[in-house]
Amino acid sequence: MDIKELLKEILLKDKALIHLPFGNGKFDIYESVVVTWIIMAFILVLLLILTRDFKVHNISKRQAAVEAFVSWLRGVVGKNLGEEASRYTDWIVTVLCYLACANTIGLFGFIPPTMDINVTAGLSFMSIILVEAAAIRKKGAAGWLKSFAKPMAIVTPMNVMELAIRPLSLCMRLFGNIIGATVIMELIKHLIHIHSVSVPAIYPVPFAFYFDIFDGLIQAYVFVFLTSLYIKEAVE
Amino acid sequence: MDLTAIGAAIAVFTGLGAGIGIGVATAKATDAVARQPEADGKIMTLLILGCALAEATAIYGFIVAIMILFT
Repeated sequence: MDIKELLKEILLKDKALIHLPFGNGKFDIYESVVVTWIIMAFILVLLLILTRDFKVHNISKRQAAVEAFVSWLRGVVGKNLGEEASRYTDWIVTVLCYLACANTIGLFGFIPPTMDINVTAGLSFMSIILVEAAAIRKKGAAGWLKSFAKPMAIVTPMNVMELAIRPLSLCMRLFGNIIGATVIMELIKHLIHIHSVSVPAIYPVPFAFYFDIFDGLIQAYVFVFLTSLYIKEAVE
Repeated sequence: MDLTAIGAAIAVFTGLGAGIGIGVATAKATDAVARQPEADGKIMTLLILGCALAEATAIYGFIVAIMILFT
């Protein structure tokens, strides 16, 4: 199989995994949704195990570690959000946890859900709705409309265009990074597969560290970082 | 003559600008940390923001190239 066929198979294959009969046709459930269910189950089970029998006094080592981790995560996100928008911290932390799991799940042989453009489009759509809702909540509808004409009336078209550009760029950045990393990892695995005699099998390990772990975590952080920056800007 | 591969190659040239941009941003961040090591947290945040925005152009080029090749 040559490289072009491999790329075609990765990029153009049928994304629907489960076909449910629905009325006259089929109701397709995409692979990204199924992998998202797996991530949800993983996070839920992890949380249930980690948060069992918490106490106020005489806390266990596990509870101390979990509390330190959660307050560190909240601190990282809350620093970007600022005082005014600290009420949105929990949402941002949730998205960060989901994206961190979703981007690194390629390590376990799943297709990352963020490689499906529908997932990143949905996430960035939720982000822009949250940003505008935060602005409306803070300034009122009239103040929100007026804020488009700031700092000068002449920049109004640019501000209106940003309503579409911001989610588009969030969506495309995440999607493009993850699809690029996955394509490169698949090519490396393909190379290992066809030259399996002459190339040792640990050859893709450093690439997996960079493309699957480092790049995935950086992109998860960048997504929530930009979202919190937009929220901070909106409530000022 | 099939020119789709050349079109995709031209689209990927956006990576040039992104590479220069990230290089300049990192060089300036290194300078800034060398001058004021106590401000490295803030500098790191700004560097990641700048790199994300600069990298976006490369990603757009990459997506356009994929769209040219595979649709």
